[in-house]
Amino acid sequence: MISGRAVVFGDDINTDMLHPSYFFSLDTTTVRKGFMGELASVDDREEDLPRVIVAGKNFGCGSSRETTMTALKMAGVRAVVAESFGRIFFRNAMCLGVAARTAPSVTGIADPGDVLKVEGDRLTNERTGRSIALHALDPYWSAVLEAGGLIPYLTETGAI
Amino acid sequence: MPGSEWFEVEPDLLLGHDATIALVVDRFANAGKPLAFPERLFLVADHFAPPSSVDRANVLRRFLDFVEEHGIGASAGGTFEMMRGICHQLLVESPRCVPGSIVVGADSHTTMAGALGAFATGMGSTDILAVLQTGTTHLRTPTSDKIVMRGSLADHVRGKDLALWMMKTYGEGGAGWKALEFEDQTSGRPIPMDGRLTLTNMAVDCGAVNGIWVPDELTKAFYESNGGEWPKGVDLAPDRDAVYDAVHSVDVGALAPQIAIPYSPANVEDIDDVSGERVHQVFIGSCAGGRLEEIRDAAMLLHGQRVSPYLKLVVTPASQAVYRAAMEAGWLTSLIDAGAVITNPSCGACGGIDKGLLAAGEVCVSTSNRNFRGRMGDSTARVYLASGLTAAAAALTGRITDPREVMP
Repeated sequence: MISGRAVVFGDDINTDMLHPSYFFSLDTTTVRKGFMGELASVDDREEDLPRVIVAGKNFGCGSSRETTMTALKMAGVRAVVAESFGRIFFRNAMCLGVAARTAPSVTGIADPGDVLKVEGDRLTNERTGRSIALHALDPYWSAVLEAGGLIPYLTETGAI
Repeated sequence: MPGSEWFEVEPDLLLGHDATIALVVDRFANAGKPLAFPERLFLVADHFAPPSSVDRANVLRRFLDFVEEHGIGASAGGTFEMMRGICHQLLVESPRCVPGSIVVGADSHTTMAGALGAFATGMGSTDILAVLQTGTTHLRTPTSDKIVMRGSLADHVRGKDLALWMMKTYGEGGAGWKALEFEDQTSGRPIPMDGRLTLTNMAVDCGAVNGIWVPDELTKAFYESNGGEWPKGVDLAPDRDAVYDAVHSVDVGALAPQIAIPYSPANVEDIDDVSGERVHQVFIGSCAGGRLEEIRDAAMLLHGQRVSPYLKLVVTPASQAVYRAAMEAGWLTSLIDAGAVITNPSCGACGGIDKGLLAAGEVCVSTSNRNFRGRMGDSTARVYLASGLTAAAAALTGRITDPREVMP
């Protein structure tokens, strides 16, 4: 079970907005500072706390920079539920052990700050009690996520 | 894995650059395993080479130490290039961009290599770390759309106009996870390779997993001019019974110059809808638009003229080969005389990486691929995306201008 404070977005949120390129660095303090760089709506960006992002279509489109996902993870993002994902963002999230799940019309389920829970194939808003079904994950990605990311998965399966 | 759509694939080539490869160096070293296939690596220092800050110098250093330790481009085989241009451009200038092969890259615009008939797609650093260690990755068979170019190419239409038309057609995510297949069925002169590269480059910007051109005589001539031997006995044509989710066609003779309005590469209009806005900078560069086609167009429009007063014209060739050819053709002289600065081949201002960043409130016309808020500098700067021809017209007049009004 994953739970966290809701961060709510619309469609086509790109990685330059989530994490501007000038926060690309080998220094993790710099990477963390860039969290939600161009998105004024996230007012608790300084805090590291459990978060669940809900978003519309094509979340995380744009650059492949994995520092975006690293910053999200450092700031506490544990799951992202969107109508659809930019392909590379989806892979980056799952490879780093952050659940990237899809569901139709998900943005209406929460206001910013609500507590959201992801359990199995359901997303629930703890405040309103509303719950929606998530699309099932492909078995391969499910195994990657279960292992905690791609490298742990490859280690467990003996590939590396 | 039973029930999974995803299957293991062994890529023929792994493309990487200083920024995204540097992120995996420590994790690779800590694992203590050898490279699965050093000879298949194509590693390029382009983003931070030469570096413009100490932080970026450190990124580049980590990458270079890795490349040297493993002997890439030397004893271990593979390719290593530094300060010779953008990785995507260097790959397509190389015989290693083999038609029909599978290319994975640690950068979203890896899709560009599909202009030569390769399956090429981008990934993040952990995915790439796994390829370095295992030699394999997981992909699934995408569904496909087809985009057919018809008609006779008009004098003012460039590959960038077609790419922006594609962005308008699909939106930023409309081709999500699909393969986009392009075919030149025009009459008269074919769509030039430089323009084809722009289309596969931007396929990722409407969400596609890859973009791929059906190879033709022009592809073959281009590949052979790069020293490649055209693959024999490999059928590179689409299956006769191929199924497409959708087939689009565009008349390359009737398209107006296209321009993407901030802050989305898919917010595209015909240029006459937005002409007249004051422009402070023009950027001609990037993997999407720093090739000879753009530089030639700019030189043609600006030869013997001056750029608009107070306007900055920054030209960043996509590679040293482009730089040298433009120099030998005299185009760089025309541009310098007109007031342009020519920077070293690299990613340059695209991605806010190097010279040519934008101030608060500035307006830029750029030949690059993304105009997201903050991508090229201050978050209030506004970037319009257009062809080199349209960008040069703006440099000449200081305003967004239909290039047909100023073409000789």
